[in-house]
Amino acid sequence: MRIILATLALFAWLGSGPAFAKVSVFACEPEWAALATELGGDRVEAVAAVTGLQDVHFIQARPSLIARVRNADLVVCTGADLEIAWLPLLLRQANNPRVQPGQPGFLAAADYVALLEIPVSVDRAAGDIHPYGNPHIQTDPRNLLPVAEEMSGRFRNIDPDGAAEYEKLLASFRDRWQQALEGWQQRAGRLAGMQIIVHHNSWVYMNAWLGLELLGSLEPKPGVPPSAGHLAALLDEISTHEPRAIVRSAYQSARPSEWLSGRSGIPALVLPHTVGSVEGADDLFAVYRIMLDRLESVAK
Amino acid sequence: MMSAALDWSIFGPAILAGLIVLSTHVPLGREVLRRGIIFIDLAVAQIAGLGVIATAAMGWDVHGVAAQLAAFVAASLGALLLYGCEKWYKQSLEAVIGVVFVLAATGGILLLANNPRGGEELKDLLVGQILWVDAHTLLPAVFISAFVLIAWSVGGRWVRGLGFYLLFALSVTVSVQLVGVFLVFASLILPALASRHARRGLTVAYAVGGLGYASGLLVSAVFDLPTGAVIVWCLAAWAVIIEFMLPSKSLSEV
Repeated sequence: MRIILATLALFAWLGSGPAFAKVSVFACEPEWAALATELGGDRVEAVAAVTGLQDVHFIQARPSLIARVRNADLVVCTGADLEIAWLPLLLRQANNPRVQPGQPGFLAAADYVALLEIPVSVDRAAGDIHPYGNPHIQTDPRNLLPVAEEMSGRFRNIDPDGAAEYEKLLASFRDRWQQALEGWQQRAGRLAGMQIIVHHNSWVYMNAWLGLELLGSLEPKPGVPPSAGHLAALLDEISTHEPRAIVRSAYQSARPSEWLSGRSGIPALVLPHTVGSVEGADDLFAVYRIMLDRLESVAK
Repeated sequence: MMSAALDWSIFGPAILAGLIVLSTHVPLGREVLRRGIIFIDLAVAQIAGLGVIATAAMGWDVHGVAAQLAAFVAASLGALLLYGCEKWYKQSLEAVIGVVFVLAATGGILLLANNPRGGEELKDLLVGQILWVDAHTLLPAVFISAFVLIAWSVGGRWVRGLGFYLLFALSVTVSVQLVGVFLVFASLILPALASRHARRGLTVAYAVGGLGYASGLLVSAVFDLPTGAVIVWCLAAWAVIIEFMLPSKSLSEV
């Protein structure tokens, strides 16, 4: 009996907690959590479901994920099926009507940018293709502005008392971002036309932004591990071209790119794909600065 | 976050899923241990997955009823194969189970190599996570578990032979989708292991299972750790504790 009482007391203690005063943002990816912090300042508390070192395609179910979505005022994800393996389950379990798709409390960033690689027809033979287009939109910093405008609007909607502050933060971010973009754009000139090989086809937006040329991918089709024949073809391709780097994200296995690097002498390069993915990429500005730093280090 | 995490509407379905899985896996696990075919669940789960992948390779829809049927059919065929092996290759049964496991796993890789759409998703289609469980996935599991338990208790000699393999295939196909491979293995083996010398073995085994799931969910809530993995460790901890708490007489018989 005493054990039952003690357990009940424990549960009661665990069940009591302060109510959230801040606008609670649940972001699927670290870049949207960072953007929410830029645009919401002290009025907003943002957490991300994954860190920059984890693969957003798959996550382990933790109790706090469900609890956070349940209490969230705004859920911000990339969308375009990037989180298809777990977000629908999470939203269903959390059972929070405010943040279901279609509600003002659910923001899919991909809805506000022009997607690349939208397939003409979804053919299963073509690999792990996303039917809505390539979802890795955050590798082009220009895509963050329309998302920022939309997110700020949602904040004003959810928390009208802070409208003036949100306007101010948005204007500040817009100015700083535009200024940074101009600086980055100047550096991009040197990189235009540079050929790269990638591990997974998640850099198309960066390529479009910087004018990089994608020579090949370690995965023959997105999500499919390399086969011997594909690697041989890739080595062949390299010998007749001049790629400068083999690019991967921090969460991807180093082995395929190190293997190819060892064979071809082309440096393997980890590029930041989001906040917290590499040393020093502590905010959104640093992500693209380091991306350019690293690309320049291998450029001619 | 701790306070919000310990919410019955989050953990309720998980606890129910755990109890449903335990209801069949505790008796089946004791039989698995008695027969010395520890890794049969991994092989059966992998074959069930192969069935779904084969369905996809033929271009059929892999969600819903078709996937379930494919999984059950594949798992049952695998069970028949293993039953045959027990009859005719009893000495090498454990080795055959291991071989079946790697063949099913690599067979899936080969099938997916030519048909990669949603490859990662397909591989995970039959692997559940206990926190994602909801009511409408629990209901079929309740009926199937009830059927398995009834068949197990009234089946007589049949369930000590071919029947065991078929009921096992059915249970594991369901439970892997609810709670995942690791928890299925732990739910089968750990309670059975802790209770193998106990006088009231089945009761002891159910106690280990229940304590493991309950404490695992609690620890997962308080420290916000991945729920399935924590429960596996709690099941192991309770298995050790119960083993030591049992009268030493039973230990000396080992």
